[in-house]
Amino acid sequence: MSSPEKLPVVVVSCQVLQDLLTGLLPAGLAEQVTFMDYGLHRVPGKMAGTLQEVLDDLEQPSLVVLGYGLCGTGLKGLRAGPHTLLVPRVDDCIALLLGSYHAYMREFQAVPGTYYLSKGWLESGSHPLKEYHEYVPVYGEKEAMWLMDQQYQHYERLVLVAHNQADLETYRPQAEEVSRFCERWAMRYEEMLGSDQYVRRLIELAEQLASNGASAPMADKDFLIVPPGGEIRQESFMR
Amino acid sequence: MSRLYERISTAIMEGDADKTAKLVQRGIDQELAAKEILDNAMVVGMGEVGVRFKAGDMFVPEVLMSADSMQAGLEVLRPHLVASGVKLIGKILMGTVKGDLHDIGKNLVNMMCEGAGFEIVDIGFNVDPEKFIEAIKEHQPDVVGMSAMLTTTMRAMAQTIKAIEEAGLRDQVKIMVGGAPVDAAFAERIGADGYGSNAPAGSDLAKKFVGAA
Repeated sequence: MSSPEKLPVVVVSCQVLQDLLTGLLPAGLAEQVTFMDYGLHRVPGKMAGTLQEVLDDLEQPSLVVLGYGLCGTGLKGLRAGPHTLLVPRVDDCIALLLGSYHAYMREFQAVPGTYYLSKGWLESGSHPLKEYHEYVPVYGEKEAMWLMDQQYQHYERLVLVAHNQADLETYRPQAEEVSRFCERWAMRYEEMLGSDQYVRRLIELAEQLASNGASAPMADKDFLIVPPGGEIRQESFMR
Repeated sequence: MSRLYERISTAIMEGDADKTAKLVQRGIDQELAAKEILDNAMVVGMGEVGVRFKAGDMFVPEVLMSADSMQAGLEVLRPHLVASGVKLIGKILMGTVKGDLHDIGKNLVNMMCEGAGFEIVDIGFNVDPEKFIEAIKEHQPDVVGMSAMLTTTMRAMAQTIKAIEEAGLRDQVKIMVGGAPVDAAFAERIGADGYGSNAPAGSDLAKKFVGAA
């Protein structure tokens, strides 16, 4: 029996996972790594179309590792075309930052109104204080604050997630600044040591799939493998 | 008169609350029927906001400003609507499901449904299934609307519908669902009667449910 042909690996991910992914990706594994603007999830209806263009532009059939969760309806309808897609089976990036779907659900059930900050979110994403600073020149201080209240008044907790103590300390001053702003909604501040376990397993799985030509997709409740010709469906993420 | 309607509609889309209130008052002063101002100007403007929001052509802050303008116009209009004896076409119970604290979308649907002539009973956000059930018993709505903004919380819609069934109340209400992660296939899977893809679609669906469409 001839050994299956090796598939080139392409990573397409949200910017907020850039640091986490690049830190764990073994040198030489991915032929192409593309990080997309964090704001795509804000318009879930357009997200799949934007990602589809990236997939359609790939020149050869590849194993595409998506650094995304379902993100609303963000991945819904994304077509694999000639490629094989590998996606973490999560609602959004928080489970990837915390390290498991279980950890995410545990935190979600404990305090549903939680706003998460991470290195990626602080550097490439957004947060309430940044939004406020963006609103002020457009709407003036009073309106800007009213807009902030409308969006965040029901939140209860602000959590800084990092994967090691050093990162917690590095990003603490920024997170605390956001936290001081969020005190107007009585949001409490917490820090959490997440885990890079989920992203590690994503990369390990990508290596295995690439080396066997994705000919034997492994069943795993934490990941979705979409074969060539397939399409991402919302119900595949329901668990 | 259509020029005034157009200006009111534009003021709502642009999120200018003062201007909206002023123009609505002008319409009243010109003895235009309150219901006409509502249908031909305000609902038109707010409906456009709902469509553009879902399509990603308008963002949360702009939508909030528009909603505030709609509200300002409704405040001027409400006494005149009541005085003119406009009949309500039905009652809607609306809430954001358990675990979800987002209410911007739900509030938009409320506004569109109020504009369409419904009485709205808003039971807020993070509403657990038991509270939906109690509210159905208390308010006897024609339609129950459920909203969710997160994938994580849209599952609570299924649990809420199941609880309503188990409480023996399913046959007396029509259930509509909506929100960022929700689609028609999901609505069907969980046994809802319909799905509104945006705020005006939610209002149209509710009208259909009560035979007013």
